Amino acid sequence: MVRKPSVWEVLTSERYFKWTLLLPLLALLLIFMLYPLFYCLYYSFFEWGMQGDAIFIGLENYRQMLNDKSFLEAFVRTLEVLAICIVAELLVGLGLAMLWNREFRGQNIVRGLALLPLLVAPLVLSLLWNFMLEYDFGAINQILSAIGLGKAYWWSPHFALYTICLITIWQWFPFSVFVLLAGLRSLPRDVFEAAKVDGASGWYTFRRLTLPMLSPLIMIIVVLRTMWLIRLFDPLYGTTRGGVGTELLDWLVYRTAFVYFDVGYGSSMAIFSLYLTIAICAIMYRHLMKALGVIR
Amino acid sequence: MLKKALFWFTTVIVLLIVIGPLLWIYLTAFKSPNDIFTTKLGKLIVFAPTLDNFGRLFTDYPFWFNLGNTAIVSVLSTFLVMLVSVPAAYSFARWNTGEGHLLFVTISTRMFPGVVAALPFFIMFRTFGLLDTHACLILLYVYFNTSFATFLLYGFFREVPAELEQAAMIDGYGRMEIFRKVVFPLILPGLAITTVFCLIWSWNEFFYAFLFTRLNARTVNVMISSFWGSIENQYGPMAAGAAIAMLPTLVAAWFMQRYIIRGLTFGAVKG
Repeated sequence: MVRKPSVWEVLTSERYFKWTLLLPLLALLLIFMLYPLFYCLYYSFFEWGMQGDAIFIGLENYRQMLNDKSFLEAFVRTLEVLAICIVAELLVGLGLAMLWNREFRGQNIVRGLALLPLLVAPLVLSLLWNFMLEYDFGAINQILSAIGLGKAYWWSPHFALYTICLITIWQWFPFSVFVLLAGLRSLPRDVFEAAKVDGASGWYTFRRLTLPMLSPLIMIIVVLRTMWLIRLFDPLYGTTRGGVGTELLDWLVYRTAFVYFDVGYGSSMAIFSLYLTIAICAIMYRHLMKALGVIR
Repeated sequence: MLKKALFWFTTVIVLLIVIGPLLWIYLTAFKSPNDIFTTKLGKLIVFAPTLDNFGRLFTDYPFWFNLGNTAIVSVLSTFLVMLVSVPAAYSFARWNTGEGHLLFVTISTRMFPGVVAALPFFIMFRTFGLLDTHACLILLYVYFNTSFATFLLYGFFREVPAELEQAAMIDGYGRMEIFRKVVFPLILPGLAITTVFCLIWSWNEFFYAFLFTRLNARTVNVMISSFWGSIENQYGPMAAGAAIAMLPTLVAAWFMQRYIIRGLTFGAVKG
């Protein structure tokens, strides 16, 4: 007579163990991913102010969105910030990675110091920069005028968005530097020696050898930074609070849903922001999975 | 020689740009209001240091209480994250469960715009009366860190050779025993790094903390942000608070140099 296996034995059996291990994660994904997703999707078809009854209005929210000037502006601005920050970070990162890709005295100290901004709370940094870029007593303007460049209106409507970009680049350029530095260190040396023997110029070696071999890492930087930049919120909170022409998508959703309590409209914009992320990620899916080593 | 001079010139400039603002927080923390709002250039660096800002921060504001909230939420959420992520990452690494698709779904939670989750949970927590409690923030941080932790751990688990486990199976170990006695000791360093990362991430988080807490569970970041934009900008106490609140992350950053890039790139780059 065969004893019926206990639940524990089934769960840890060869066949089911891998799923048992995943159970907590799957439960979490179900609650924290699918629930909010369908919730937002559902309410994006309604008009609801957090109180009273929700009124079904079909696609009205989406139609309103496409005609909403502040939404379209926020969307364009978000793309602008994405492009500026990623390009600048990559250029600075590549330059400094090439510069620091050698043995020099105090290299650990230099690298250690350069890493610090990455791990400080973005909110604290945004408050700090807001203070340092103040027109009258901000440290940056005082230094600028001392060396004869004159004070700059960092938070003027024309420039505030770029100031936000500058702050973001300042915090995140070390990320590109160190990813690319790790990449440069892992490149095979003999190829470069062969190129040197063949008399290839420095620029030619860089374009034909270094850049192509770094491209998976550049891909990682672009994908990860895109993900993080789309949801830029903290640098806005400490500085302009979405004013003077710096309102980005996430801030607009926050304002619509949590300041004006327009849950339906906020949901539809959140869904849009999600689609945008998914679309970008889908384009990069294969590259990303390859770069992360999940598929070969 | 010129090349060397140029190298050091660039390096020093870059370091000044990076470190200057961080030092600025510490300088400002010890300045009196007169020295903060001065327009005299010399006062930027030369001033009479004072501890007033810290004094005001500790007596007039619930600074330690809010710092404690941050610590409680960070530690508990990190613990829960590890309970979920460690087995999941092991499953993904050893059996390739879900052929990469499930893993991708897991990372993609990290790509979700924060607001997508914020709205439904705000209303749900309001219904259950959980707004402004530690529990709601802990749950949100678990959501927000799990995908990241799973992915980082996945990289570490993949480095454990499968032969080791097969050898243990031949010796008659069950799956649970293998995990406990063979795999677990080998990934302890990875576990430590992932833990520190989750701690730092929860520590620095602002968006959810700002939306979901007011008084009882207010985190230190929300408190620091409240010094700005009220009637007057209180840069002194703000800098003092920030100076203390960011110390743990700066120390961690210094000691974890080697692992930071690995962590930030989800383990794709062995920094």
